[in-house]
Amino acid sequence: MMAQENRQPTAECGRFDAELMAYLEGESRPFVAAHVRECVFCAVVLADLEQVRFLARQMPLAEPSPAVWANVRARLEGEGLSRPKARNWDWLHALRALANPAPAGALASLMALGILLTAAPHALQQPETTASLFSSASPAEVAASASQAPESQLAHMVADLEATYKANEKFLAPDLRATYAKGLSSLDTSIQECQDSLRKEPANTLAHDYLVTAYTQKAEVLATALEFQGR
Amino acid sequence: MKGGGAALALLWLAPASLLLAGWAAHDSRTIECNPSPRISLSNLNGKVLVRGWDKPQVRVEYTVFSPRVEVDTELLPPTGPADKIRFTTHVLDPMVNGSEQAADYTLDVPMGASLEIRNPQGSVQFEKLQADAAVEAVGGRISASDFSGHLGARSVGGDIEIVRPSGRVEAYSITGNLHFVSSATAKLRASTTSGSILYEGDFLPGGDYTLSTYSGAMDIVSPPSASFELRAKTLRGKLENSLRFIPKRRSASPLYSGNSLLGTHNAGKATVELTSFSGSIRIRPQ
Repeated sequence: MMAQENRQPTAECGRFDAELMAYLEGESRPFVAAHVRECVFCAVVLADLEQVRFLARQMPLAEPSPAVWANVRARLEGEGLSRPKARNWDWLHALRALANPAPAGALASLMALGILLTAAPHALQQPETTASLFSSASPAEVAASASQAPESQLAHMVADLEATYKANEKFLAPDLRATYAKGLSSLDTSIQECQDSLRKEPANTLAHDYLVTAYTQKAEVLATALEFQGR
Repeated sequence: MKGGGAALALLWLAPASLLLAGWAAHDSRTIECNPSPRISLSNLNGKVLVRGWDKPQVRVEYTVFSPRVEVDTELLPPTGPADKIRFTTHVLDPMVNGSEQAADYTLDVPMGASLEIRNPQGSVQFEKLQADAAVEAVGGRISASDFSGHLGARSVGGDIEIVRPSGRVEAYSITGNLHFVSSATAKLRASTTSGSILYEGDFLPGGDYTLSTYSGAMDIVSPPSASFELRAKTLRGKLENSLRFIPKRRSASPLYSGNSLLGTHNAGKATVELTSFSGSIRIRPQ
């Protein structure tokens, strides 16, 4: 990574390195938490590792062939249960971000997000088929139960990204910071309102779609912001 | 005496700072390239204008506004007609900020070029260009007129305006407004969270148009002759329509409450999907 070549590690960074594995294994290491508030590089390393660990947890999700997903998406879109994703070039930006350490964590998050978003239609599709075969649950109940798990994972992932962003936002130019703040605030409002709607009406697919979209957009905005921080 | 000295210093310093404030350096270059080169431009602030021409050349003109800002040009291969051309604005001094970081570019590129442009705080404008282009801004405005090819535009807070596009268009913003005028594109996808969407014009037969806002208003202004199938839905917003649609049967058990309109206007040759959470959707004749 480019930033690594210019890095001037301190003694604290050495101690961070020494304690990092234990910290990631769940041991209480207050120094690690304190150091990442002071050192951008180590904060990014920690964020990256946490994202990699999160991705590793997702690995058991086997990926069926693209044709299967294409059929699932086509059917969901045809039934108005899902809106098509049209973000072909977002991933190119994420890949380019590998040149900097900060966005690498963001990329890891986006990869996980991709897995989740691909998994989400699967989660919706499976119970719906069951429902149509046995007619034991209403489509509303099925959609509500299927949508809960991916959302909470998305929320967790976006929170991780946001924590990394907040720790480093001081390095952004003030005008950029203000634009990002406004955009993130707008997305937070939409997330809050969609969650409120889903609490009142758990089967609301439109609110669910907008919630997933808002989380995805927030992850993308944070990823680009981290990329600028890494410059 | 002290006051007189300070006044004298000011008299000297004021013209010097004025001179520095007006500092600008201009340069230009013409680069031989293959007929469809890949061109990337990474800038921080300032205006970027890209125009198409028929020559297998890229002409770049740029202006920087600080001696501590440089433009780097990278060519691949380094000799002979270039396949890839990268322009990068470098700020050499971290103390340089704001408008001093700006670099204004004007690019003339071959029709058929592939472009990737990032200009976080500046504007990007395309004029009469046939290309595949991905443009990303944060606060800056993106505009395109007479663009054909695939255009992907994304801005966090900036407005996006696309006039007379043909080809495929994707436009995303979070707080910015989206405006489409006289579109001849067959595939349009656009979304904004709190910005508004204004679509003015016809829909191409066989075309597919998906527009979405969260809380912003959406206005579709189409000629009475427009031929399209419509699926419009909003959870909390108002849905106002003054076109004559033949209503379609509602799809079975829609899993949302709110307002929706499914119908066919004229022969229904294009497909239009409009969605909002709380923004109003208005459909009216031109």
